[in-house]
Amino acid sequence: MRSYSKPTLLAIGWLGLMLFFALFGWILPFKEWNYVFEDDLEMGLFSSGHILGTDSNGYDLLASIVAGTRMSIFIAVAAVGLGGLIGSVLGIFSAYVRGKVDTVMVTLFNVGLSVPNLVLALALVSVLATNVDINQAVPTWRRVMVLIISLTIILIPILGRIARGATMSWAGREFVTAARSMGMKDIKIITKHIVPNVLPALIAVAFLAVGVVIIAEASLSILGVGIPDGASWGGMIARGRNDLEYAPHTLYVPLFFLALTVISTNHLGDVVRSKLDSREAKV
Amino acid sequence: MAGSGTAHMRNTVDAVLTVRDLTVEFRTGRDKVVRAVSGLSFDVIKGETLAIVGESGCGKTTLARAVLQLPPPNSGEVVFDGTDLTTLPKENLRSARTSMQMIFQDPISSLDPRMTVQQLIDEPLEIWGRGDRAERAERINNLLNNVGLDPELVLNRRSYEFSGGQCQRISIARALALDPRMLICDEPVSALDVSIQAQILNLLQDMKDRFGLTMIFISHDLAVVKAVSNRVIVMYLGKICEVAPPETLYAKPAHHYTKALLDSVPVADPTRQRKATLLQGEPPSPMNPPTGCRFRTRCNAASAMCAEQEPQLREVAPGQFVACHHPIS
Repeated sequence: MRSYSKPTLLAIGWLGLMLFFALFGWILPFKEWNYVFEDDLEMGLFSSGHILGTDSNGYDLLASIVAGTRMSIFIAVAAVGLGGLIGSVLGIFSAYVRGKVDTVMVTLFNVGLSVPNLVLALALVSVLATNVDINQAVPTWRRVMVLIISLTIILIPILGRIARGATMSWAGREFVTAARSMGMKDIKIITKHIVPNVLPALIAVAFLAVGVVIIAEASLSILGVGIPDGASWGGMIARGRNDLEYAPHTLYVPLFFLALTVISTNHLGDVVRSKLDSREAKV
Repeated sequence: MAGSGTAHMRNTVDAVLTVRDLTVEFRTGRDKVVRAVSGLSFDVIKGETLAIVGESGCGKTTLARAVLQLPPPNSGEVVFDGTDLTTLPKENLRSARTSMQMIFQDPISSLDPRMTVQQLIDEPLEIWGRGDRAERAERINNLLNNVGLDPELVLNRRSYEFSGGQCQRISIARALALDPRMLICDEPVSALDVSIQAQILNLLQDMKDRFGLTMIFISHDLAVVKAVSNRVIVMYLGKICEVAPPETLYAKPAHHYTKALLDSVPVADPTRQRKATLLQGEPPSPMNPPTGCRFRTRCNAASAMCAEQEPQLREVAPGQFVACHHPIS
């Protein structure tokens, strides 16, 4: 049994809790996140009935956090999953085939990476998630979809480059030549030899990417183009911002959850990576 | 040196592999072409071990891979068992290649670190559907026993749990799995300790005798080559310098490069005075090889003719062929 350090256990525990909130938050005996407690405005932390207090609108912060977890984690996992899948297919393919295909792919990746993430997401969201009739609100599900798509587009070059680099180094190994010489087909070489070896590096980066996506989603919400009505952590921060002077905890509570989650994913990414390095050193 | 010519070709029906005018070039830039192998010919007779020696970067490995069509050569023929592999359709090539297997220099990187020994050796059998599960397991056990590994101990371990020598044994077992007729060994022992080298060489020799294999043995270690080969090709910058049986080659090298190579082998005798002049400088770039004889820039005996005319291989003693205008007599 491998032993993990304390910070790693904490990170795993925290992410486990967040995952639990995201998946099973609805069975917890928490209040409706969008129910307005008209008599309990701006209650501080640890008030009776509202453990994390309420904000100036009378929303219960704990209930909002739990509901926001679902949105934030769902968006992050969906975007990283989609981006990782598309990115690694493109990266592995282009590194394996090499030649012109690879040159074109690298150029595309570089173009994608050269555009600042937020600007790109902002542009995509504002183009795709608006109604022709500006008086008609865009439904939430559509904004979520657009958000996921734009974050996926951001992630494809990031993860694709990692997949390409790892494939380059593995495809050059002699066991790949050996597999060819014994008559293995290219598709099989990729699925049997390349993918399993490239996967650990991708998982390490995927953890980091989850952090990046959560931040990006929050940033977009703060800018007002993310999930409306405070249904995510970013949305809560955006709302709490106005009450900084009178009820700072409405800002700090979501920030705290956001920061801990991102630190945890980054830490786990590093752990996976260092585990990988030591295994590599042994090889 | 380094000349072309086909005087050394034996043109016999016993030849398992005949390579004619093989050229491999790599594009490295807009107009830059690395001429790794330039018009090389040789043949290997059944049951023979052909050694190819030369310093790093002379095209030995490229040559071996070109024989296997990994990647295919730019021009020339590779006739194996009467079929020219260079013109074979992809699907036929895939099956033709199985009767030629390769052993690589780096024993560790030639095994996938994620696979157990069982899976590694099963891989070629599975690709070609040789037998059912039980028959394959039986075959894997036999192969491991053949290469001196205890199946019980190794089957479920992965490559990083083994030493270089053991990895090389596993590679050999894997290469033998498809009953190849020819084994191409690309510096199979140069990454191993000297004590292990002898074991692996003996094992290769043993396998060769037992399964009637024909071998191409690539090395830069002349002592190793002497021990295993029937015929030696000395290569320099993608061309052949000299072809000879090892006894002749070691006793009476005819090419100045062969002599320099032999002189550079250290002798365990501190009182011995070095009288040989060692080679000066680096080999020229294969992107821009010298005219005429490719070795002339580092050769003591080079004359004006060497720059103009490329020497052709000719026989200077029975079985000894040299591509030099001024061979050592």
